[in-house]
Amino acid sequence: MLKTITAFLVTLILASSAWAIDGAQLLKQVDRNLNPESYEMYRKLINVEPDGSKKEYTLFSVKKGQDKIAALFLAPASEKGRSTLRLGDNMWLYIPNVGKPIRITSLQSVVGGVFNNADILSLDYSAEYNVEKLDESGKEHLLYLKAKTREVAYDRLRMWIDKSKILPTKIECLTEANMLIKTLYFKDMKDFGGGLTRPSVIETDSPLYKGYKSIMIFARIKKKDFKDEIFTLTFMPNMESLRK
Amino acid sequence: MNRALIAVMLIFIAVFPARAEETYTFDPSEIEKKPYHFGGYIEARPVFFWADTNAALYKLKYYNQDVGQTLQEYNFKLQLEGSYEKDMVRLYFKTNTDYKNSYLGNDEQSTFYEAYGTFKPSESLKADAGKRNFKWGKGYAWNPVAFIDRPKDPEDPEVGVEGYTALSADYVKSFAGPLKTVSITPVLFPVTKEINKSFGNRDYLNLAGKIYFLLYDTDIDLIFLTGGSKTTRYGADFSRNATANWEVHGEFACFPGYQRTFIDRSGKSYTDEYNAVSYLIGTRYLTSRETTFIFEYYRNGTGFTKNEMRDYFGYIDDGYRAYLNTGNDAALQRAATLSEKNYGRINPMRDYLYLRIVQKEPFDILYFTPAITTILNLNDGSFNLSPEIVYTRITNLELRLKAGIIVGSPGSEYGEKANDYRLEIRAGYYF
Repeated sequence: MLKTITAFLVTLILASSAWAIDGAQLLKQVDRNLNPESYEMYRKLINVEPDGSKKEYTLFSVKKGQDKIAALFLAPASEKGRSTLRLGDNMWLYIPNVGKPIRITSLQSVVGGVFNNADILSLDYSAEYNVEKLDESGKEHLLYLKAKTREVAYDRLRMWIDKSKILPTKIECLTEANMLIKTLYFKDMKDFGGGLTRPSVIETDSPLYKGYKSIMIFARIKKKDFKDEIFTLTFMPNMESLRK
Repeated sequence: MNRALIAVMLIFIAVFPARAEETYTFDPSEIEKKPYHFGGYIEARPVFFWADTNAALYKLKYYNQDVGQTLQEYNFKLQLEGSYEKDMVRLYFKTNTDYKNSYLGNDEQSTFYEAYGTFKPSESLKADAGKRNFKWGKGYAWNPVAFIDRPKDPEDPEVGVEGYTALSADYVKSFAGPLKTVSITPVLFPVTKEINKSFGNRDYLNLAGKIYFLLYDTDIDLIFLTGGSKTTRYGADFSRNATANWEVHGEFACFPGYQRTFIDRSGKSYTDEYNAVSYLIGTRYLTSRETTFIFEYYRNGTGFTKNEMRDYFGYIDDGYRAYLNTGNDAALQRAATLSEKNYGRINPMRDYLYLRIVQKEPFDILYFTPAITTILNLNDGSFNLSPEIVYTRITNLELRLKAGIIVGSPGSEYGEKANDYRLEIRAGYYF
């Protein structure tokens, strides 16, 4: 009887660790299929109100490695020249009129609407989350993710992954108490060149903003390496010079 | 029949989402980079004042006019900005034109807020020459370490101000480990009768500098100014996120041999010299309901005491009585000059508290942001209270309705302001 219980427990532990390893590798694969580790990117954010009216923002973003990302607002005119920088858990916002970077938090939103700063300055999922569980019983992989630190905007994620493309189709963002904050829907596959084919549209809705939705459209994603000095407060006012 | 019904339903299900699905476009021309940029901002800002006719500053401003209890002021602003970038060089300008129509007549002032050239040979190094803002310091309402900036208005700290002409450089280096960034900013800052003439003593070439560290996730700046236009001064500031939704910051400035001129009630002038210390400690906190609290305490070591300020207001009252009795406004003229130099600066006393509470999009109304701000003078207990609402639903248009309630006893800073209440509507459009 003892042998049976021991064998069962060993099997369970091995199986659990196998899940964890597979899940972590799967998450890393999702990250690489979404973006190169270092890149430059153009995006448009659209906030849609229940009456259908829209507000649009255009952003240029650069990312390097696991923890460095910066974004520059190109439009509309009221936001042009604003830039945001994230170094790990540190985030800053530079507003030309204010003239200096100020610290912001991941839960704030510099654009209003359903997207917050963590969505706009998102790092690799595997950099911020551990895999708690992988469920393969359905048509898609379902990853249960838990934030590595309390600094991360959403404590838990549920990520549905297309089994053939290894790309997310839907992500639910939840609080520690499993309350749903928002859902991201990944749509419209597009070939961005350089071997990168991924969804070009992310739609977001939230039970906290009933009737409102936000959309992120990706226009150009290109693998590119940058010097570390670009991801500094001193460089924030000069981000436009990176655009060619 | 059933098959036909199912078929109709399937067609309906197939077609309806297709109709509901909206396609979004992203035209490549929207992200095409041009070497030049031109834009601007236009603003209309009518302000209504309810005057405090017994206040010293009302008497000082309107002693020879009958302007009544309520006053209107119509302000218009036009800012134009442009840039041109080629290779390692960028040229930038920003103009500002203010037009004011009030009881005092029409007034129009135009100037370049900024006009400078940048030479950037690498991502680590750049040099700027011309008129620009530096905006040193981490405080939201006040910046005691902003040694080479014009003071901002704590009641509207995000409004742009005019810069100074200087030659500066930035060198930045990143590292792995607890020290992530070091940045060095030396500034050469001339003051002559043509350049930066309002800054301080003329015909000096001043040197200022800032060293920035990002150390253990904390922003730290060490700052100094020396050269003769003002007494040598040095300071430091810091800012860090204590948690994901809680930021703390502070500034410390030391002014060795600071000289201060003040008057007693009879108008006799005194000068004292001492080592002044100013500092600020502040925090910004975001709740789960998206309410932001910004709180700061400011110690202004160069400011006036309660009695010194009371003497100044008393001097104005006496001067006003003399004017009514004799028609001689010499004392009031002198008080006005002292106001421009010293007493009239923003928050001229020693100890202040600042609290701003901003509620983002309450009741799920997007782009609607109400806020309330108060500045409390701890030395005399006077304060102002400013509720406001901002609406930014229409792209590039910002609408703000702001009120001001000014409370204080006679002889106090806010009690002697020219108004008891104010109401301001601001409509600004970016293009």
